[in-house]
Amino acid sequence: MVRSSLSRAALAIAALLLSCAAFAQQPVVQQTAQPATPTSEFVLRNATLLTSTHGRIERGSIHVKDGKIAAFGTTVNAPAGVPVIDIAGKFVTAGIIDSHSHMALSDDVNEATSPIVPHMRMEDAFVYTDKAIYRALAAGVTSAMLLHGSADMIGGQSVVIKNKFGLSKEKMLFPGAPASIKFASGENPKRVFGSREQLPSTRMGNFAVQRQALQEAREYMREWDDYTAKAKKGDKDAKQPKRDLKLEALADVLRGKFLVHIHCYRADEFLTELQMAKEFGYKVRAFHHALEAYKVADELEKEGVGIDTFADWWGYKYEAWDAIPWNAVMSMRKGVRVAIKSDSDDYIRRLNQEAAKTMRYGGATEQEALQMITLNAAWIMGVEDRVGSIDVGKDADLVLWSDYPLSTYAVADKVWIDGQLWFDRSLPGYGMPNYKEGL
Amino acid sequence: MPDRSPVPPAPVVLKGGKLLTITHGVIPNGVLVMHGGKITAVGVAGSVNIPANARVIDVTGMTVYPGLIDSETHLGLIEIEADDATNDLIESSDNIMPHMHVYDAFHAESELIPVTRANGVTNAIVAPASRDTIPGQDLLIQLDGRSAPEMILTRDIAMPLNFTGEQRRNASFEKAKYPQTRMGVVAQLRQAFLDTQEYSRKWHEYEKKSATDKEKDGPPKRDLKLEALAPYLEGTRPIVLAAHEPSDVETIVALANEFKLRFVLNHVTRSQKLMDRIAELKVPVIVGPIYELPKDDQRYDAVYRLPAELHKRGVKIAFASYEAHNSRNLPYAAGYAVAFGLPYDEALKAVTLNAAEIWGVDKQLGSLDAGKTANIVVASGDPLDVKTDVKRVFIQGREIPLDNRQTHLRDQYSR
Repeated sequence: MVRSSLSRAALAIAALLLSCAAFAQQPVVQQTAQPATPTSEFVLRNATLLTSTHGRIERGSIHVKDGKIAAFGTTVNAPAGVPVIDIAGKFVTAGIIDSHSHMALSDDVNEATSPIVPHMRMEDAFVYTDKAIYRALAAGVTSAMLLHGSADMIGGQSVVIKNKFGLSKEKMLFPGAPASIKFASGENPKRVFGSREQLPSTRMGNFAVQRQALQEAREYMREWDDYTAKAKKGDKDAKQPKRDLKLEALADVLRGKFLVHIHCYRADEFLTELQMAKEFGYKVRAFHHALEAYKVADELEKEGVGIDTFADWWGYKYEAWDAIPWNAVMSMRKGVRVAIKSDSDDYIRRLNQEAAKTMRYGGATEQEALQMITLNAAWIMGVEDRVGSIDVGKDADLVLWSDYPLSTYAVADKVWIDGQLWFDRSLPGYGMPNYKEGL
Repeated sequence: MPDRSPVPPAPVVLKGGKLLTITHGVIPNGVLVMHGGKITAVGVAGSVNIPANARVIDVTGMTVYPGLIDSETHLGLIEIEADDATNDLIESSDNIMPHMHVYDAFHAESELIPVTRANGVTNAIVAPASRDTIPGQDLLIQLDGRSAPEMILTRDIAMPLNFTGEQRRNASFEKAKYPQTRMGVVAQLRQAFLDTQEYSRKWHEYEKKSATDKEKDGPPKRDLKLEALAPYLEGTRPIVLAAHEPSDVETIVALANEFKLRFVLNHVTRSQKLMDRIAELKVPVIVGPIYELPKDDQRYDAVYRLPAELHKRGVKIAFASYEAHNSRNLPYAAGYAVAFGLPYDEALKAVTLNAAEIWGVDKQLGSLDAGKTANIVVASGDPLDVKTDVKRVFIQGREIPLDNRQTHLRDQYSR
């Protein structure tokens, strides 16, 4: 399909609201991929390591074993018989992480038939054969969080994946990633329901709907808690309440079982959302888009809320009119944890460039810029102890770059996930060592 | 609009910078003199006479290059995309709208313009959106001026002709209007071209007759639509042919040749198989949308490599952002094409001199040469890299304030 001439801005809105209709799925092609053996072991030598946690290490090495980083630094011994790959001074980073994507969800991003649909699970829509995953992989992206869209006040539950394109659905899910749920407020829910003359068509309506739903969830939770307590005591008269998937999901929000992500642009709305979270006793993990975070960065820092933002998108709608490219760094300097995300099947392919823009706009250091698409993005998704930096014990999700990664010129030469070579640009065809189309 | 000083009466000299001249290489320690809105001298330090009354700016350590030219934008046609009240992108009541002139809508006070020029884009083609086959006529602007007339360099500089499938009026089968198919789009176009030829013939006839004083019937009725098309059918101005798919490129080029149109190509993002054929046409190509996603059966870099593939075959290329808000990121598309094989010098030319040549303004724009308009950028480094910070921008020799809506917000909330 052809993109309009205002492609990126249009895409933003499409992705936010209507899903990536412009990139609707081609018919699924049968695919197979044989992962390298999970015990594969090797040493990368003579690399410039940008670690995300320990700065830059020149002439560094990484020992990968059993899918994990076993050792790294300037003096890493390769055990006998272990293959050594000489990187010839090129750059290696941890795998890039996109903490806000709608790829591989076909047209199923928004269940926009009701503003409260917390029981929608993106895992049920996850099209693991979508080539968008391959293209992201080829850009060094090794993990992504796929979220519900922003048509609804309380949308669905995210799925976190590793970009092991070619494997089965189950094998692409990020093992042990915590559950995440997406809320949204502002223009998108206003427009979607307002245009149908339904509630909500204003921000007042937005939050009334949200508050009502959380109130019902609170009552539902109490009913179940009462029942469970009675049942525990052996009360034969205890009557099991009816299960309601929607309220069950919301009750889990109140129980703190989800990382809560909120699509939200305006400074005043961050504060309203935080007030709501206090009122109902849940915690907000991150505001997504968050283009006005710089206006209330102190308040966000105080609440320990991260932001997941764009480098320099602006003006595609009114609530993006006060966006400035200094947002990421200004917020970071106030202590807010900042990630840069794509929200786009296009931009996911150059997140490294987007992160590099924070070095120019506000003077992020190399490591700070890189963290925004590695460690901080991992934190947004709750997997920062597993991925997001070159550290011993972390998953060996690594990217070898053709050039300095925080520049316009870098291209991913090789990408490893869990220690397995998943993409190699020097190979013909798709550049995937074990992927073949058709059976 | 920020306050703007008039063209400085005294010469301005940029001294000590690395000059990317485009036409005669890189001068590591150069001197550039501007006076009366023009570049008056360029050369190695020591070889250029610095006028006694000049304002001399030391730009040691900086990179100096000609203002960048974005070969397709929507600047001045849109402010907030989702707000229709601020949106004059396209008149979509009909497919053939050559009498729509971007200059009638161009909003000189757009907040987007100071944001864009702060990254070194000094000139741009402004085009309507692409929903129509012929959506109107383009404008060439410079990104500074008190009013639209001051910013407009050339009215009706070219006419887009879009053939990408998007122009079909086929939203649903029930609501479809003519042209619902590509066949319809071409038939409609061909009819418009024939009507134009007929219209021009009538007018020529009338003019010939009236010159000999024998005309009795009076002039033919004027038709603004056909009148607008006439110069393009006479080949006096270029048409910008946009197509993606190989079949669309073939179809629309055949039609253009049938009517002997003068044209440049635009997009061609899906036409990897047509590279040799495109090269044979000996026309320039606007290659901006390298971010277009490849088809699912293509390798990830199939579109990224297009600028390099075209250049390899001798095709002159220019980049466009096809954007309004993100026009400032134009140079990064050129830089990313370098990562996929385009020689660096060509990438730089594609956002400067090549664009100037394609739009017929290479005597004024596109390189650091004496006699050209003094549209000059001073930056911390490589213009095509995302990390580079633009420090100074001159348009017509005036130093342009780099503040804008975004820096104001930054400063307001940094206090």
